[in-house]
Amino acid sequence: MSDTKRNLKTPNKFKTTRRTFIKAAGALGTAALLGSYGGTGRLFNHDIIASAAENTVSGDTKLIKTICSHCAVGCGVLGKVEDNELVGLEPWSDHPINHGGMCSKGTSIAEIVNSERRLKYPMEKVNGAWKRITWDEAITKIADKMTDIRKEYGPDSVMFMGSAKMTNEECYLFRKMAAFWGTNNVDHQARICHSTTVAGLANTWGFGAQTNNVNDMRHTKCAFFIGSNAAEAHPVSMQHFLTAKERGAKLIVIDPRFTRTAAKAHIYGRMRPGTTVPVLLGLVNILVNNNWHDEEFIKNRTIGFDDLWEVAKDYTPEVVEDISWVPADTLKLVARTLYENKPSTVVWAMGQTQHTTGTNNIHMSAILNLVLGHSGMSGGGVQPLRGHDNVQGSTDFCILADNLPSYYGLTDAAWQHWVDVWNTKSPVTMDWMKGRFDLKNAPGIMNKNGFTVSRWYEGVLYPKNKIGQPNNLKMVFVWGHSLNSITEMKRMKEAMEKIDMIVSVDPHSTIASSLADRPDGIILLPASTVFEKNGTVTSTGRQIQWRNKLVEPRFDSKPDAEIMQMLTTKLGFGQHFTYSTPEDIVKEWNLGMGAIAMVGQTPERLKRQQEHCADFDVETLRATGGPCKGEYFGLPWPCWTTEHCGTPILYNDSKPVSEGGHDFRVRWGNEVLDNPTGKHIGDSLLKGDNPVPQVGYAYDLTLQASKDALARGDPPTGRGRARIWAWNLPDPVPKHREPIESSRPDLVDKYPTFDDVDEMYRVETLYKTNQQARKNIVNEYPVILSTGRQVEHMGGGAETRSCSYTVELQPDMYVEMSPALAADVGITNGDFVWVETLRGRCHVKAKVTDGMTRSTEQTHEVAFMPYHWAGIFEGESYEDRYPPGTAEMALGDSVNIICVDAYDRTTQMQETKVCQCKIYKA
Amino acid sequence: MAVYKFAADSDRCIKCGGCEVACKQQNDVPYGMRRIRVVTINEGKPNETNVPMACMHCSEPACMEACPMDAIYKREDGIVLVNKDRCVGCGYCLAACPFGAPQFESKSNAIFEFKGKMDKCTFCVEPTQQKADDGSLIQRDPIARCAAFCACQGLLAGDAEEISKTMRERAATRIAGTA
Repeated sequence: MSDTKRNLKTPNKFKTTRRTFIKAAGALGTAALLGSYGGTGRLFNHDIIASAAENTVSGDTKLIKTICSHCAVGCGVLGKVEDNELVGLEPWSDHPINHGGMCSKGTSIAEIVNSERRLKYPMEKVNGAWKRITWDEAITKIADKMTDIRKEYGPDSVMFMGSAKMTNEECYLFRKMAAFWGTNNVDHQARICHSTTVAGLANTWGFGAQTNNVNDMRHTKCAFFIGSNAAEAHPVSMQHFLTAKERGAKLIVIDPRFTRTAAKAHIYGRMRPGTTVPVLLGLVNILVNNNWHDEEFIKNRTIGFDDLWEVAKDYTPEVVEDISWVPADTLKLVARTLYENKPSTVVWAMGQTQHTTGTNNIHMSAILNLVLGHSGMSGGGVQPLRGHDNVQGSTDFCILADNLPSYYGLTDAAWQHWVDVWNTKSPVTMDWMKGRFDLKNAPGIMNKNGFTVSRWYEGVLYPKNKIGQPNNLKMVFVWGHSLNSITEMKRMKEAMEKIDMIVSVDPHSTIASSLADRPDGIILLPASTVFEKNGTVTSTGRQIQWRNKLVEPRFDSKPDAEIMQMLTTKLGFGQHFTYSTPEDIVKEWNLGMGAIAMVGQTPERLKRQQEHCADFDVETLRATGGPCKGEYFGLPWPCWTTEHCGTPILYNDSKPVSEGGHDFRVRWGNEVLDNPTGKHIGDSLLKGDNPVPQVGYAYDLTLQASKDALARGDPPTGRGRARIWAWNLPDPVPKHREPIESSRPDLVDKYPTFDDVDEMYRVETLYKTNQQARKNIVNEYPVILSTGRQVEHMGGGAETRSCSYTVELQPDMYVEMSPALAADVGITNGDFVWVETLRGRCHVKAKVTDGMTRSTEQTHEVAFMPYHWAGIFEGESYEDRYPPGTAEMALGDSVNIICVDAYDRTTQMQETKVCQCKIYKA
Repeated sequence: MAVYKFAADSDRCIKCGGCEVACKQQNDVPYGMRRIRVVTINEGKPNETNVPMACMHCSEPACMEACPMDAIYKREDGIVLVNKDRCVGCGYCLAACPFGAPQFESKSNAIFEFKGKMDKCTFCVEPTQQKADDGSLIQRDPIARCAAFCACQGLLAGDAEEISKTMRERAATRIAGTA
């Protein structure tokens, strides 16, 4: 393998001049007195710190501060740059979040930039062969095709799939571009990542994000991981969880697998995939029966507890054990531990979100936290750990089929708000904007949800009278999105073979180039990586950081913003997308992001924080001195004004709003009026002791409403109550619903799934029909299949599977199974097997591990497969379909070929965690 | 004078592999060779434990004693290195080392002229002794990148006194936390 010869330049070019050595020695003298850095236990790297401070090691080597591009923890790292080459990395030891710590993916990011397997030039597939074309040719072809489609079929026949791998500025421009094109068919990874978190949490207490941040986990007394394997998915966050453990906190893991996170836990319970809601209802049942719930908190700060009890009273520990496999005794121990260790927090990731019941799972997690009275405080709250480095940002900028940036929705008022903002850049009116949409053929389409990432292909495949727009999709942009992370890959492949044109914009060619078996109609544009441009990035804890460019764009790649500028210019509205610096774009979004108050994070403040990062206390993330004194790191939103310190913990009513305090958001009016059942009429949605209604802060570009609220001592979002009973959700109080493919036919009728939905995000979605048709599927497909992460790989894996370091650590796609199941199948560790479901089959290696060994209560075997793999399709290699030299080093069959065709009832999140399969020797 | 050591706090190791990649990147270690490796025992069982294993830079290095070519030497600061010009790749050091630290590259992509010779952790000391403009020798703190990048600060590297202090603080925290 040629990649095994590292393509970095000469290593160890860590030159030192006498001058820098003297400086370093000076720093050593001071630091030696401090011992370890900031009480984290990390031994101080004197030389590196000193070098980074003056941004240079010697005349021609620079250490440049940047932020890792993998998960959303927000780790800082120093790029070692010589003569515009990224020759290595150094730890950023005084970064407030990670203190230099990086996982295997993070420490290999230099190779992402330098990889010879990157897509180097714009390419087009012509007559079955890949041909290099110029940027100008590519943009002209794409724009001409778009214009033709617009004339013949309307703007809704183009689908824009965006990316959580772009900077905030580019995410903002991407959503703006779809608006200016005239469609809501714009979506990205968050749909299949945490869309249910946003729906579940925003409907509970106002905002859809992590309430605290990873550093604050140092103060929890009990971390309850259900649906998260943080040790592999968010490794550096464990730095803080394990610090809490050292201080006496309890860690609890409930998971179908004994994960690396479980290995660190005090209590572990093995659950049946798809039973989060009954487990949490069971805990509520125990808490209330023992009088361990916080009555005062519930009375003052929530509504709907009685409705919850109506549901939870039936979920006794024994009932829950039968449904979920978690032993009744374990449930009782978990409930007692949560009660005795205040504050507790609930931690999750895809294990809760990617279900047909995803929104219910998340709503229920928040409810558990509320019932305990552990919400809105340091060490408490809920921690949905986000996946991609900027998926919180891309969600906030709403590359989403149902929202405009800052979650304004798609109402006329929302459009007017953003037109007002966009008008400050270059003149635009509401009438012009309306003219961009196909309102003549589809009245109201401007206010209607578009196609999602999870089902966009049905917009190509369904007959046009079965989709919620005038014509089928004819063109798709795959702009920084791995298609192998989307389920129903066979349907998607079919759609990609039928659609007129595919445009992929990515640093790698990805399977957007190779999935479809077609001779032409694919254009690939090489995007720069995040290390080749400046901009901002938002971590899982709502912290916004400035990320510096390390090197100029490699090869013939261009930053996404520049590609958008070229394309929109060709389409005739480029004046709205032409900026001289990223800072100018930040200032534009500062103006419009009022609803979540991303208004105070000016470029100047963000850069100042980066420079003075060492002033932030590791425990509080607050600057104790220096020019940032009083600010919280990353100015976490809501950051109400350009003087505000940021809000590190949402809904924390124990301190002044001007000091980062907050309260539950008044979002559904002042009292419950619009309840269709007539119940609850007259209940106040305002907090009893401080009845200030929500004010119109979100639409006030002058920020006066926010300033007035702050002067009163109130959050601009008012002081409201959290909704245990959320009347607008399909299940106002969550209840158990069996998966579409259930291993327990006897439970299907008792806990049925949702009714079918005729149209949801422009497409029909089947629930009961499929569940009933597959009621006895367990007879033929006896093993439960679940999917998830490997620590060494990220997302669809185009970057990490092209990197020799991570491939060396994790070279294979596999299926994890218990020794007992392996014996039944007749194979041993490392043998190849077929894993087959109703959709198809995957050819993968077997990884036999005790982590999958059955518990006493377990009724069926569970198998687990990681989702990062592609390039092999049902055993057939597609390597020769990529442009030559651009296929990843390590290829594997994609588990999303075989995952179930099932979706969350509220957000159309895909189900990846439960389906039925059978495994046999290959 | 500092004495450099490693210490692994396995309560904090989550086997993310950051140390392994950091080492390979910093030292250009060829594919297939591991100067440091995280070993997991009892995988999937309640007592699952991860231990990062590199060279321990022993005070009395058994490898050094065993080496018939006097290729292994110990610096004043405690760091044990191998002189590849003297090493003949006999493997006595591997037999002697209680930790399995010595590595022998046999694959085609070995470090050029050192094919087949012993290779091991160097604590990331500079490969050559650098001189300043006036000819004086430049001294730098060795920074073992595996520990400097460790995601959860489970692997500690540096002056033994500093490590001891950190480990004691952690132990004290545990005692205080559970009291």
